[in-house]
Amino acid sequence: MNKFWVILKESYRKNVQSVGFIVMILAPLIIIGIGLGVGYFVSNAEDDSLSIAIISKNEQVQALLSSKETGLKIDKDIQSIAKAKKALGNEEIEGYATIEVTDNVVEAEYVSTDIQGTPNAELLRSLLTSYQTQLKGKELALSQQEIEALTSPIQFSESIVTIKEGVIKTEDDSEIPGSLVRNGAAYLISIAIFIFITTYSSIIAQEIASEKGTRIMEVILSSVSSTTHFFGKLVGILLVCLTQISLYAIIGVIAFVQLKKINFVKDVLSIIDLGQLTASFIGISVALFLLGIFLYVVLAAFFGSLVTKIEDVNKAVSPVAFIAVAGFYGGMFAFVNPDHLIVEILSFVPLFTPFIMPFRIAADNISSTGIAISLVATLSFTVLTTWISLLLYRSNVLVYSDTNLFKTMKRSWSIFKSERNSTYKD
Amino acid sequence: MLEVKNLTKTFGDLTAVDAVDFTIPGGTILGLIGQNGSGKTTTFRLILDLLHPDEGKVLWNDKPLSRSEYNQVGYLPEERGLYPKVTIEKQLIYFAQLRGKSKKDIEPHIDEWMEKFKVKGKKTDKVKTLSKGNQQKIQLISTLIHNPKLIILDEPFSGLDPVNADLLEKGIMEAKERGASIIFSSHNMNNVEELCDHLVMLRDGKIVLNGTVHNIREQFGRTKLYLETPLEKTVLEAMPGVKEVKQTGSQTYTLSLTSPEYGKDIFQRVTQNGYITTFDQQPPTLEEIFKMKAGDKDE
Repeated sequence: MNKFWVILKESYRKNVQSVGFIVMILAPLIIIGIGLGVGYFVSNAEDDSLSIAIISKNEQVQALLSSKETGLKIDKDIQSIAKAKKALGNEEIEGYATIEVTDNVVEAEYVSTDIQGTPNAELLRSLLTSYQTQLKGKELALSQQEIEALTSPIQFSESIVTIKEGVIKTEDDSEIPGSLVRNGAAYLISIAIFIFITTYSSIIAQEIASEKGTRIMEVILSSVSSTTHFFGKLVGILLVCLTQISLYAIIGVIAFVQLKKINFVKDVLSIIDLGQLTASFIGISVALFLLGIFLYVVLAAFFGSLVTKIEDVNKAVSPVAFIAVAGFYGGMFAFVNPDHLIVEILSFVPLFTPFIMPFRIAADNISSTGIAISLVATLSFTVLTTWISLLLYRSNVLVYSDTNLFKTMKRSWSIFKSERNSTYKD
Repeated sequence: MLEVKNLTKTFGDLTAVDAVDFTIPGGTILGLIGQNGSGKTTTFRLILDLLHPDEGKVLWNDKPLSRSEYNQVGYLPEERGLYPKVTIEKQLIYFAQLRGKSKKDIEPHIDEWMEKFKVKGKKTDKVKTLSKGNQQKIQLISTLIHNPKLIILDEPFSGLDPVNADLLEKGIMEAKERGASIIFSSHNMNNVEELCDHLVMLRDGKIVLNGTVHNIREQFGRTKLYLETPLEKTVLEAMPGVKEVKQTGSQTYTLSLTSPEYGKDIFQRVTQNGYITTFDQQPPTLEEIFKMKAGDKDE
């Protein structure tokens, strides 16, 4: 077997089979699961709401309010004020209504502990109002049509428009605007990039630092070239990352298909038009996502190779983490101000592009040339970073120094220079 | 056969290895000694092509030792390390695969090697569950299991108890009999004396001793005399050619002579009254030579 594959397979296998990986996969799912569970209980809890009591001698009223269509939950056992008061005192009911109908005039009193007025009170009011309208209509000998004509509401509709380059554009008012949908997606992408970058940066830095710290590195580098080792590790770790992404994609699709059947999700989907996430938006975002992870993982591998002891690995990757945090906040700023000059500039800085560019694409304020330039810039920077990291990697892993990172880099540089001179002599 | 020719490596102003020459034919063992920082590890790294020399070259069977020969190398670095969370078996297979062996080549031999080095533990155990000594044995096995032709051991004996050191010596001798070229460094001169066919001592990157153990010792002359006699220390000190007398037991002494020739005369004197149990005239021990050479100023 090719040694590149041996290294790739080993670093992949070791990580995917680790408990940490399984926890990493499950943790977000568990959190989402808990979130959904809480939501489910909250929505169910409404059904557990307390019933109300209706005290009225008018049988018509009783029948009207008791019918299932009204949506009221009525405790039919309570028929007297005394009983109702007792039940309210024991907090068995939300409240009670006393209703009297005299001369086609409905008089009702609703007693409850809720200061703000409950949906039940509102419901009662409207039900009884229309009941009284019916009574009065009959008294005035109006036909059913005439009553309906009198009570029909006015036509009132709202229309939201956006202004683009002086032109008014009508948006479908029942839907969230496309830019907002895309912006939301960009927000999710930004968070995902940040999580993946920090996770996989630390994994690869740990891998390399521990091999260097335990001197396994020397044995490996006397077996294979540093290039083979570097790329074997890198690709192995990136495959772990892709495994995680694919698992989420599969789980996501299954969940989407299942959840679509739930009413709540249906409602949400009816106002969010996923069609607004065009193929180009998704394509470019995914490309930036993958490039971003690759770029940061390479950087982390480089910094990891400077460490002498595994304990120092977090210190070593902190510059990478710091840039990632800055990029993330840049993205959050772009979320709110996609047109700001700083955002426009940062979106072309390769280390920040993956965080910021999706927001600009979402806001539709960048030309396709601009996007192409930023993609090429990020790609070139990634290639360059990989090349430099690889050059220094070999000398980095042979330097054992307990002093700070800067000195380690200096020593590594002197080895690198002497190596280069010697190589040229050959 | 490994040939190291005029190997020189500088880091900035420091010359870590300075014109080092030696040859290790197949089936022989070379001991590399020297104080810490004398250039042993750098020499190993230069041989392994982890570093490129400024000058000189390393030849393996008359060709530069390059990546294609990596599979024939077994290397034990000075500081030991394994993957703590990986099982013995997987670890040994992984390292052997990096040396170009397949899983099928190695798997059947793991038990045999663990038996040979008397490793306490099952091959399905994770390395971190083993004692330090057993971990070291696993690393030795991973250095040797692919039957390398060139074996480089940096301080292989450090941390081993005498019983395990014997096991390692046996392992090294077996590799020698297979025809491997072996180079190792050690601070323990007993191991060096027992194992080495050839000895090289470095000081500040330069070779200060080079030859067989016997020749190196002999070139210092037989100026050490181990003696068991009822004679008094003062009597011994008064004898001609005696530089120093060290009493090592009630009737045992170690004498330093100004020149080997005085041995005969001293033998006559101490055997005047007949039989004595010990009269042993020896060159200085390697350890003494080591200390002597390490302390020497530049000539």
